[in-house]
Amino acid sequence: MPRIYVHPLPVRIWHWINALGFVAMLVTGFQIRYIGLFDLMSFRTAVVLHNWIGFVLIGNFFIWLAFYLFTDKIRVYHPELSPMKHFRASFRQAMFYGYGIFKGDPNPHHVSVYQKFNSMQSMSYQVIMLMLVPLQFYTGVLLWDVSRFSGMIDVLGGVRVVDTAHVLIFIFFAGFIPMHIYLATLGHTRMAHIRSMLTGYEEVEEEHGAGA
Amino acid sequence: MQGRSFTRLALAALFAVAGALFLGQGAGRAAGIANSNKVDQQCLACHSIAGMEKELQGGEKLSLHVDGAKFAKSVHSMIGCAVCHGSVTLENHPPSKTKIPSLREYSIERTKVCASCHGEVLKLYQGSIHAALVRDGNPVAPICTDCHNPHTVKAKGAYDTATGAPCSKCHGSVFDAYAASVHGKAGLDCSNCHRAHDVNPATTGDQLKNACLGCHPDALAAHEIWLPNAAQHFETVSCPACHVPGAKRKVDLRLYDNVTKQSVAEKEGVPQFDNWVRSAKVKGGDLDAMALYSLLREFNRDPTDNKTTLRGRLELSKGIDAHRLMAKSQAIRDCARCHQQGADAFQSVTVSIVGPDGRPVRYGAKPEVLHSIVSMDSVSGFYAIGGTRIKLLDWLLVLAVMGGIGVPIGHMTVRWLFKKYAKKISGKEDS
Repeated sequence: MPRIYVHPLPVRIWHWINALGFVAMLVTGFQIRYIGLFDLMSFRTAVVLHNWIGFVLIGNFFIWLAFYLFTDKIRVYHPELSPMKHFRASFRQAMFYGYGIFKGDPNPHHVSVYQKFNSMQSMSYQVIMLMLVPLQFYTGVLLWDVSRFSGMIDVLGGVRVVDTAHVLIFIFFAGFIPMHIYLATLGHTRMAHIRSMLTGYEEVEEEHGAGA
Repeated sequence: MQGRSFTRLALAALFAVAGALFLGQGAGRAAGIANSNKVDQQCLACHSIAGMEKELQGGEKLSLHVDGAKFAKSVHSMIGCAVCHGSVTLENHPPSKTKIPSLREYSIERTKVCASCHGEVLKLYQGSIHAALVRDGNPVAPICTDCHNPHTVKAKGAYDTATGAPCSKCHGSVFDAYAASVHGKAGLDCSNCHRAHDVNPATTGDQLKNACLGCHPDALAAHEIWLPNAAQHFETVSCPACHVPGAKRKVDLRLYDNVTKQSVAEKEGVPQFDNWVRSAKVKGGDLDAMALYSLLREFNRDPTDNKTTLRGRLELSKGIDAHRLMAKSQAIRDCARCHQQGADAFQSVTVSIVGPDGRPVRYGAKPEVLHSIVSMDSVSGFYAIGGTRIKLLDWLLVLAVMGGIGVPIGHMTVRWLFKKYAKKISGKEDS
């Protein structure tokens, strides 16, 4: 089966640090918000871990950003400028996941070096990476030291508003991450996409393609 | 009748003093006033007689007795009687025609005399809660002479560490609580925290917090070692809320002006907050989230103007408990005491404004105001992770987790069913 190199090393390093970090942030976030409901660790330990891992993730985000800003691989994130074309491709992809996949239809998206995301992924990753993740880091940093950033917090409407924005994005990721993991198993084999994120090489078939 | 007997007694005493001076008998020495000047000795010749008093208009008795020995030891013996009682001369004394309505009014009137030497101190006092209460007509609020007996006052101050006097005269139960505390046992006095003359209401302003930090300047650094967001905790949690671990706590939501960066004060004669809350409470019980929202709108008439907000502060429900501070080893260090749902600290909520006299005016609010999505704007300045979390977000999280897990499981199940169905179909087709 032919293989193409779609995940360069910096992207893979970023991805796995991000993956572990986000899971840890979800666990510690659950613990911080729901202490008493389940007690995996103390509140203080959860807060300290949450803070440290948060800063690691912020640093890691800039690895990702720098890689894409300074290489031509940024093309994988280029948006489809024709709304009609984008809508049609997204609809085809949604039909595949919602119906075609059950019948054994081939994935309508064909992976290439500069088009590793299907149109649904391309749209959602732009929102996630350029809006939700930075917003989550930003609100997280404000909450890390409420006194230091009190001026900014007041401008945004107060600590309750900032925390609610942080929690809403946390809720989104609590739902998104299990789905992301599941979608990663929808390659031509269950481990195909996951293995490619480890090796960098995606095995491509004539009639099968991307997933997560 | 009594006035006449007093006159007779005073005249007799004056003659006695004159005779004693003439004979060089040292009458002053006999009265324990060896260090007093001659004029003072003349005064004390009569006023050192125990039980000397004057009946006032209302029937009260004004004591005219001065213990000469104690006066001689007081700091005021240096200035003598005439500096404070300048209007009294041998020609007009005793001024029996002077009408004094009551002891209280006489004492208040005499503060002018104190001001002639202690003007700066009196200025501090005028800004205090004690002076505000006096202006309000409170009959027991302290004035100069309630704490300082002008005839026995000493340089070291009026406070008695053992009994808590004079503060304990009015705040006896508070002193008892304080005496058993770590500070009380260490022999500190009330004024170390509350100051002697410019005493402010404990729950307004930063005076008390600054008093704590004045003696414990490294407190913030010591807390930062183990307490995340220590500076924010210092801002929104009163010291006793953790350092009196057994006390009942509450959240006080204070109206705060974001422009002036100060607590909002009710204007004299315009009880906007008071009127509004009263009318809101008529509709039923404590203030709920919608009522708080309306309150903030009342104070921010212009929709774009959000200068008035509510800032929350975790403090003790009863002021007396704030005096029971314990050793730091016994303070609350368990974050979960506040940062979990149902924490006792968030079961009692008040909304307050600084009243015209500087004292807080408080009304009860329902604990739900801390958890309601409606409070997003009105209680935007107070939030304790876990403890005051918004319940609507909990449900959203449940939905998201159910969706995140349920959708893949459902999708997998449908794929599995289709696979079996497809195999059956293909099996039939093969046969």
